[in-house]
Amino acid sequence: MTRLTSKVCVVGDFAVGKTSVVERFVSNHFSAKYLSTVGVKIDTKEIEQPAFDVTHKLVVWDVAGSDEFGDREFAYLRGASGYIFVVDGTRPRTIEAVETTQSQIGERFGAAPSVLLVNKRDLLAEWGVGDELFESLSASFDGAFRTSAKTGDDVDDAFARLAQLIVENELRGK
Amino acid sequence: MNDLDQLKHLLFGAEKQALDQIADRVERREVRTADVAEVLSEAIDRSYREDAEFVESLTQPVGDCLQRAFRDDPQTYGDALYPVMGPAIRKSIMHALRNFSQQINEAVEHSISPQGLKWRLQASRAGIPFGEYVLQKTMRYRVEQAYLISRDNGLLVGHVHHEASRIKDSDAVSAMFTAIQDFVKESFSPDRTGRLESADMGDFTLWAVHGPHALLVCVIRGVPPKSLRADLSAVLERIHFRYGDAIRQYKGDTATVPEVDVELERCLRFEAREESAKSGRLVPVWMIVLLLLLLAAVAFFGFRSWTHAQELNRLDDALSTAPGIHVTDIERDGGQFTVRGLRDPLAIRVDDIAASVDIPMERVTADMQPFQSLQPEIIVARAGRLFNKPDTVQFNVAGTTLVVRGTAPSSWKDRLQAGFGTLAGVNALDLSGLTDEVIAEPMSVPLPDSRQLLLDRLDVLNGRRFFFDEGVRFVAGDEKALSQYVAQLRDLQADAEEAAFSVSVTLVGSTDGSGDAARNVALAERRAVAAIEQLAAAGVTARLSARAADLGLDGDRREDLSLRYAQVDLELRESPESQ
Repeated sequence: MTRLTSKVCVVGDFAVGKTSVVERFVSNHFSAKYLSTVGVKIDTKEIEQPAFDVTHKLVVWDVAGSDEFGDREFAYLRGASGYIFVVDGTRPRTIEAVETTQSQIGERFGAAPSVLLVNKRDLLAEWGVGDELFESLSASFDGAFRTSAKTGDDVDDAFARLAQLIVENELRGK
Repeated sequence: MNDLDQLKHLLFGAEKQALDQIADRVERREVRTADVAEVLSEAIDRSYREDAEFVESLTQPVGDCLQRAFRDDPQTYGDALYPVMGPAIRKSIMHALRNFSQQINEAVEHSISPQGLKWRLQASRAGIPFGEYVLQKTMRYRVEQAYLISRDNGLLVGHVHHEASRIKDSDAVSAMFTAIQDFVKESFSPDRTGRLESADMGDFTLWAVHGPHALLVCVIRGVPPKSLRADLSAVLERIHFRYGDAIRQYKGDTATVPEVDVELERCLRFEAREESAKSGRLVPVWMIVLLLLLLAAVAFFGFRSWTHAQELNRLDDALSTAPGIHVTDIERDGGQFTVRGLRDPLAIRVDDIAASVDIPMERVTADMQPFQSLQPEIIVARAGRLFNKPDTVQFNVAGTTLVVRGTAPSSWKDRLQAGFGTLAGVNALDLSGLTDEVIAEPMSVPLPDSRQLLLDRLDVLNGRRFFFDEGVRFVAGDEKALSQYVAQLRDLQADAEEAAFSVSVTLVGSTDGSGDAARNVALAERRAVAAIEQLAAAGVTARLSARAADLGLDGDRREDLSLRYAQVDLELRESPESQ
């Protein structure tokens, strides 16, 4: 079985739930307490991809939330094999920041697999991303998921999808 | 042009023209040069990418070119390097100063601690400056872990560590170090050329060595020497040489960098072993045993020395109170005592005194010169021996008067009165306490007056002893006493002759048991002869009798000054003419 390690960066506006999504994926745990990330937080998780006969270790860089990325933030993204973009389903305006960032990343580092997580799916009463908007967003990414870090819905699927895309990308590059 | 040429021209004209052009290009140097120049950069680029030996094959000629260029035109190259020389020199000086400051801190810190005092002593014994010694002792380190990290994406390319090292998620560590590196660079380096090269965490130091495609991060326990950075750089250069392209394109697949860990393990060989802390902290068992033995020996010898000192005091006290003994020196050699001084022959023996204070005789050697003591006890003893004191009589000395008490025959009293003058230290006689003993003399034939008088006088002089110290040398005073005695004896003999009697004189020599039997007999005889010679000089003839066998032949091997004497035995006889 081939061992592969990939750098994955989690990007999004303030308080969209990036750290909670990563914690749910890595530790299967959720904390309602909000702690703002300073700089970057790094976790790792190994997942199996039997279809490719690959043991895939994801090094997840949880980059501090920002509505506008500066040089320091972009430095953290250098060399990433894939991106997780996170927006808050109850705050549609967080989508704009992600779109801007995605565009800047493409300009700086070139194309790389990316998935969009429209998070906080558990807060249906405040949900502000309609199906039409969701579909249009999906076209800009390699995958889009309505997730809830609190309940864990679709979080693992989103990371698994990105991991799969990364492996495919790597295999294509060989 | 003939037909054949025309035919050739028609058939191969175009090809010939092309061949001519090719020949022209090959033959003309400037054309060849232009052709090569056209593809040179592309060829170099391709060789560099596809041929692993390209760089190696260029190293020597390029090096030679540079060397020659620098030599031929140093000014131009000096000017060109000037902008980079300053920062490089400043950086080197700062690095050196930082290390120096660290070493000074170590030296100061250790200068006042117990460890520092110990090192100071050891440095003094080794004959090297204290600061240098501290540096030697503190330059202990070991590379515990080595991370090879891709500069592009922060992914871990390789990681090695010692067995005992505690390892967490090495991929996370690698990523976090890269993040910190990026953070520092973006935050504190305005031109983004700065690098995080070291970090300290308790006992550990992190050193990062930067290469074009990867950085080598080593976790080092202790304080590494400056030279280690050069060693680590060499390892990183070697890794770049072997895996440069693979690392540049690294995307997390370790299969693309086979056996990179083998190269990394070179880092773990860098260490300077510290002396075993365990052995330093614990005192070895043998040392404890040795210490106990040493303490036991000190206690034993201390106690023995104290005991001997006590014995010396006791012996000194006993000798100083013993009559007839004057000690000038007591020498102690371990448990052996040598006593020097003067001893009256009538005084108690030194080894007997030692025995009385619980010191074995064999540990005491007496080196005593004989003398005549005037202490009362000795005068009393001498008088008792000289006059054959009856048990019913007691002597005492008051000042220079011999006080006599008790009961004794009048003849003994007369003899005492006649002879006390020869007793050294006595000038007078007090007989007020002496009463005459009444002796029943049944049917005794009264002696003629002249004979009785002679007998009385003879009793006084009879049995007198004159003492020797060594050989035939008289003790001080006895030679003079003998000459006085001889005068009295001569008078007695003269008076005896007038009354038709004679006084026979027999000299008996005596020795103690310190020599062997044969020597003692000979010595006894010589002592008797010595006394006879003194008598003969005054006109008194005497017979010789050596009685060493009485005492000296006992073979008890003991010295006894009171047995070294010559005794004068007298006997009153009637002259043959009167019989």
